[in-house]
This record gives sequence, C-alpha cells and structure tokens, in this order.
Amino acid sequence: MKQLTLFKSSLIALALASSSASFAQSFAITHATVHTVTEQGVLENATVVVENGKVIAINPETINADTIIDATGKILTPGLIGSMNQLGLVEVSAVSRSRDAKDKKANITFDASLAFNPRSTVIPYSRKGGITSNVVAPRGGDDMFKGQTFVADLSGEFDSVRSNNNSVVIDLGAKSKGSRALSLQNLQFKLEDAVKALAKAKQKTKNTKDQKEAKEPSREAQVINALLAGEKALVAYADRATDLLALLKIKEQFSLDLVLVGAADAVLIADKIAAANVPVVMAALDNLPGSFDSLHASLENAAKLTQAGVSVALTLNGDTHNLYQLRFHVGNAIANGLSRDVALASVTANVAKAFNLDSGTIAIGKTADLVLWSADPFELSTKVSQMWIDGKEYSTQSRQDALRERYTTPSDMPKAYIK
Amino acid sequence: MQKFLPSLVMAALSVALTGCLQSEQQDEKVVINKNPYPSTYKVLPLQTTLIKNATVLTGTGSRMENADVLMIDGKINKIGNNLSAEGAVEIDANGKWITPGIIDVHSHLGVYPSPSVESHSDGNEMSSPNTSEVWAEHSIWPQDPGFQKARAGGITTLQILPGSANLFGGRGVTLRNVPSQTMQGMKFPEAPYGLKMACGENPKRVYGARKVLPSTRMGNMAGYRMAWAQATEYKRAWEKYDADYAAGKNPAAPKRDIELDTLKGVLDGDILIHNHCYKAEEMAMMIDLGKEFNYQSGTFHHAIEAYKIADTLAENGNCAAMWPDWWGFKMEAYDMVHENVAIVDAVKNSCAVVHSDSANTIQRLNQEAGKVMYRANENGFEIAPELAITWITANAAQSLGLADKTGSLEMGKNADVVIWNQNPFSVYAQAEQVFVDGAKVYDRFDEKYQAKSDFMLGQR
Repeated sequence: MKQLTLFKSSLIALALASSSASFAQSFAITHATVHTVTEQGVLENATVVVENGKVIAINPETINADTIIDATGKILTPGLIGSMNQLGLVEVSAVSRSRDAKDKKANITFDASLAFNPRSTVIPYSRKGGITSNVVAPRGGDDMFKGQTFVADLSGEFDSVRSNNNSVVIDLGAKSKGSRALSLQNLQFKLEDAVKALAKAKQKTKNTKDQKEAKEPSREAQVINALLAGEKALVAYADRATDLLALLKIKEQFSLDLVLVGAADAVLIADKIAAANVPVVMAALDNLPGSFDSLHASLENAAKLTQAGVSVALTLNGDTHNLYQLRFHVGNAIANGLSRDVALASVTANVAKAFNLDSGTIAIGKTADLVLWSADPFELSTKVSQMWIDGKEYSTQSRQDALRERYTTPSDMPKAYIK
Repeated sequence: MQKFLPSLVMAALSVALTGCLQSEQQDEKVVINKNPYPSTYKVLPLQTTLIKNATVLTGTGSRMENADVLMIDGKINKIGNNLSAEGAVEIDANGKWITPGIIDVHSHLGVYPSPSVESHSDGNEMSSPNTSEVWAEHSIWPQDPGFQKARAGGITTLQILPGSANLFGGRGVTLRNVPSQTMQGMKFPEAPYGLKMACGENPKRVYGARKVLPSTRMGNMAGYRMAWAQATEYKRAWEKYDADYAAGKNPAAPKRDIELDTLKGVLDGDILIHNHCYKAEEMAMMIDLGKEFNYQSGTFHHAIEAYKIADTLAENGNCAAMWPDWWGFKMEAYDMVHENVAIVDAVKNSCAVVHSDSANTIQRLNQEAGKVMYRANENGFEIAPELAITWITANAAQSLGLADKTGSLEMGKNADVVIWNQNPFSVYAQAEQVFVDGAKVYDRFDEKYQAKSDFMLGQR
C-alpha cells in the first residue's frame, strides 16, 4: 500500500514537473544580462520583476517577489515574435483536414483566427525557439486580398488569440496567369472608389439631415475604410522593386499604414523605403534568385536595409513548422553584417512595431513575454532555459521529446509501452 | 516480361542452331556502354598548398590542434604539426578550422534550379511510376546559381537526384561542385550512379490521382517487386548471352531496354540505391525487398523515422540521410525528433548522414549537423565536433560509394578541403576558402575565386 502511495505521489510530482505552467503570482529574475530592446539597451547583472503578467520593475532597489530566479550567466530577452506564418492553422501541411489557412472563397474579411488551434503540436515545438507570440497570416484564396492577420501567443491555452482582424494581407507581384498590373490597378481603384464613397456618404448625411440613416457600407468596404483610416495596416507580399515602388506610391496617396513582406529586391530602393518609414518583413536566408522578381536576394539584405534606415523584421517566409529556427536565421543575418542590437530587435521590437503589438521589449508595464537563454540566443548551441508568456512559465517540451524518450529508453517490452 | 519474350525466343533459337553448326562464325559481341556520357571534369589551376596552424577535423573522427594540411597534386599529402613544403603557397589558418569538403547526398541543384521557372522544372519525370530509364544528369542546367551559393557553403561534392514522384525516379549523378558549361564538366569521375526510389505518400498520391498503380502503399511494394522481377529476368538473359558467347556460340543479344539497364545495374552492384523513404515500417520492407531480389537497399533519404529502427539499419549496412529538424509537411514527416541523426549514429557500424534536399540549406550543412549535435548533447549524448563532421563528409562519401576518394583528410585522398573562419558548428561560421582536388574554387575575400552563373551576368 505504501508503495502504491509512493508510486501515486511520484506520478503526481512528475505530472506537476511536466505541466506546462507554474503559477507564481510574482517573480523576479535576478543577475541576468537583460536585453531590453528599448533605449535602456543591455543591462548587466540586472533584475526584472513580473507580477500579474506584466513587467512591474527593472532593477528595483529592493526585490519584492514570491519567487526569485537566479539567472547568473544567462541572457534575458523579450520573447521572440514570429510572423507571416500559419501557426495554429495547420498541423500537417499535406493533410487537408488539418489545414485552415486557405479557402478559395476567402476575401478581405477572412478571419482565420476562428480556426486557431492552440493544441497544435507545432506550438510547444516552436517554443523551443523562444517564440512567445506570433502574427498569423491567412493565405486566402483566389482574391488578391488574403484575409486579415491575427496575433496569438504560444501558451497553448484556449485563450491564446490576443487580437484578430489586425491587418489586411495582399499578395502582389509575379503571376502564373495574367498580369501583375491588374492587381495593382485593382488595389488603386478600390481605394479610390472607397475614398469617393466616403466623401459621398459624408456629403449625403450633411445635405439631407432628415433622410434615413445612410446605408451601412458592406463588410468588404468597411475593411477598406479601416485601411484608409489607418486603423489597419496593409501587409503586402511583393518582391520586385517596381511593385514595391508602386506600393510606396499608393501608401503616400492614401496615407496607408504599409508593411512590405518578402521584398527580395528592396535593396534597390532601400532609401525610398526608409524615407517612407515602411517596415520590411523579410526572410534572412532567402538568397537565391528564385524568380525574376528576386534577382537581388542576398544574405546581406537585412544588414543593407538596416543600414539604409529601414526597420527590418525577420521571418521564415510562411514556413510554419520551422518557426522555431527563427533565432538561427537571426544568427546568420549577424554573420552577414546585421548589427547585434538590430538583430534582436528584428525578431522582437521591430515585429511589434510593424504589427502594432504590445510586446517585443522588456519595459515596465509591458506584457511579460520573456525568454531566459543559456547563452547567446542566436547560437546553435544555446537553448531556452526558461520562458514566460503573459508572465506565466511554459515548458519547451513537445511531442518530439516524448518520441525521443520512448526510443532511447531501453526496455524488454515493445516501445509502445513506454509513455 | 512481355517486352523481352521475343528476344528470349530468339536466344533459344540461336542456341538450337549453334548446336548443329559447330563452326559458325560469332557476330560481334554486343556490349553495353556503361558510361556513355563520361566526365570531362578537369581540376582547376593547382598549386602545392600548405595550410598552417588550424584546428583540423579530419572526417575520420579525429581532431587535431595547431595542425597543418599539405596538398600536393590534388591529393592530401600530409597532416601534422610544423610541416613545410618547398614552393608551397602557405595559408595562415591560425584560429580557423579545417574540415573535409562538405558532401550533400541529396540535391536537386541544376534539375530544379533558380530561378524556378517552368522551362527549368526538370527534376521529376512524372509520366510513369517507373522511370528508371531517365538520368538526372540529362536535366542538369550547369548555370544554376545555386551551385555557386553551395560552394560558398563549403560543398565540394553533391549528388543530384531526380524527384520522388515515382517508385523509380531514375538515375542520380554525383558532381564536383566546380563551374562548367556542361554537366560532363562537373561529373565526378568514377563515381557510381545512384538509382532514386521513393516510398510512401508521393508515388501513391501522384499515380493514385490518375487511377493507376500505385494508389496505396501496397501498390508501391507491388510496383517495386514487379520491376525487380523483370530486371532479374533481364539480367539473366544478358548473363546467358555473355556465357553462351564466351562458350563460342553465336547467341542473339537480348533486346536492349534502357529502363532495365538501370535496374540491372543495381542488381550487378554497379548502381547504388538512394531511396526516399521516411517511415520505419517502410524502410524495413525496403531492406527485405533488397534481400528478395539480391541487391543492397542502400541509403534511405529523408529517413525521418530512422531512429525507430537504428539497429536494423546498421545491421543491414544501410545509410540513413536525414534532416535535423524538417517535419510536418506530410504525415510521413510527422514523427521527427531532433536527435534522429545522433540516435542512428550511436549504433555500431551505422552510417548517419545529414542531407539538405534544398538549394538553401545545402549552403549550411555545417549548421544542420551542428543543430543535431547540440540538441543531442542536451539530451544525454556526448557528440564532439570531430564526430558530427562525419555526417556531412565521410559518411556521406560512404553513401555515395566514394569513401576511397573523398570525405576525409587522409593521405592520398582527394584534397577537398574547407577553411572555416571558426568552429563550423557555430551559427556565425563561414567558409573562407574551398578547395576541390587541391585547387581553390572559392575564396570569401577574393572575387577572383567567386564564380558567377551566366544567368546572373548583366542583371541589374
């Protein structure tokens, strides 16, 4: 009986240890090298205090917290932010019924956050890369507008979606069928028409006070209006310099909040992009001339754009299952000229800025999405020591670890009995 | 079977005839040219080169500090401390690391080149589940800019394979990563051919959609077995022809079949199997299939589940070529573990290989191997850089049947060498100089040694 109890309690202990979260009300991380990604820069031997999901103090005179975590020799950064992938919308890419990022009929109103699955095995796996939140981009359908982005944290909890219908995704550039010109023209026309319609509606309400309420614009029109009002960003996939220039022009004409994605040939017009204050979301490792639109893809582009004054955010270009690798991409960008300060910002603060998120820095009052690294976050040999999402600790253990354990544990019985 | 029935009948007839006419003249012997598109590769301009004071990973499992590497006439002449050689170009590699030239056993450079345009999509002959008759070398566009990028990542040798749509995709070819206007100018002299086979989802999806065999995994197996049975007959017919001819008879040669030539090449031991095969249960069956038809089942590529049958692979002399972390794109790629390569490697007589299958990651196979090493070491393994390097050098050479020529820094082997600015298993590591057969083919700091594809010339 005693043995059984012991067995039971050890099972419970095990369950607790492997449970993804611990519930400290407040905790302090001490003696860490803290990369704030704010004007405060890097703080050596520093303390960060978290309470109720927020950073409440940095280097306070006295530490007041339920738990103290000694982070001597370790590096604390904001949690990394993934973007422009389909995390939570796809479990296995080739399994059709595990995919929800696309729909032939999807249009500008497509809100894929309704399909977000926090229990996807890709999520705990991605935490191995220190990713704490992610901008999910739907892939839409036939329409050039692919739908709207949403933001989810990587807690795996059912309330992971932090916000939805954030920005409008549009796919421009080379076409397998037809001409790229038509898409640009359609975008231009839609915006022009919306401006006219808004002016007309305004005029109408002014002139005919007694008339019934003006007809509510269609849902599609409401989204376009939100773009015009700067309430939503236009997130545009395009690579060739002419497409990027056309987008800059449209941005200027309609005062849009524009984000460029991909932008393989952005280096050709880096000064113009910088002058327009348009962020570029790009893949650091895309260095092949994959098409005639991307003849200037290079490992040095992140560095070159940054030097020209462009705010660069790094991504894996739609590669959902490999999101965990993001930090290695940053390391490669550093090896190819990107400065270390900018490098960390490119997967934290710059992503937050491009997509209007309240994360990406370590500052008082900010969401406590934090990662404690064993060493240099971008080095292959480094691992996540601990990580917190909304101030709550999460494990990096995933299904992959369970498989490894099963097949490296000696047993006389078939492997299926090892759980 | 039907294909060569007539020729069997012919052979039988001619045997009967020779029985009566003892003094019959023999026709000229029909001999199949096994190398009709021979290599014209020439070593680039060459100098005796002595690299000094480096950390050397030999590819044989050793690590040497402050070591010198001497290359003479395209071969590794000596590795040791305080070497000197008259007239040698000396390179000070203090603080730098030296490894054998990196080998990728799975690439589609040239057959799926950049830019990825319709006219260059030449890697998958998706017109029949058995296209053993096609040869990847006939699709290679030597101007693929990807070759230059791979060279900057230390790749000196690479096998170009056809795609995985078919049960038998065709022959693969091994190249030296040197610029040339022709495929033959890149072809690795004396490298055996590979035969690309594919298990699992791809063939059954492609042909299942057309309502032809295979539409299931059992259909896959049936397709292989029917083909090998036919190839066995074909081989027997040629052997009979050869034997009869040697006996002074005048047999009619079997009807030439380009498709069966390749399969016969496997049965003869001349062509090595390179089998796209993710899953444990499928690999185990492919090993038995090899035994059923008397050939070695070769290297399993994309062997996501190799860790589940690591013992079986080693016992049967199979190499497994793996990614460190790709997964999730198909059901058969769902059970990835980061330590796959390490688990396979830990078994005695194993042959664990890290491969790319990507024009992008081929540029960083050192980092791909590094990821495995560090993740494994976090989970109970003790893998040193001198072991990890073998996954992308010596073991890869073994998989390609080139272990006696390249893949390690040993006296007399081809001087395929990479000088890295630091430990190659760092994310910040870069290849500074790359040598193929002792000739410098890439230098990060000297434009003279940075080749450019015709395609990229004059683009602005």
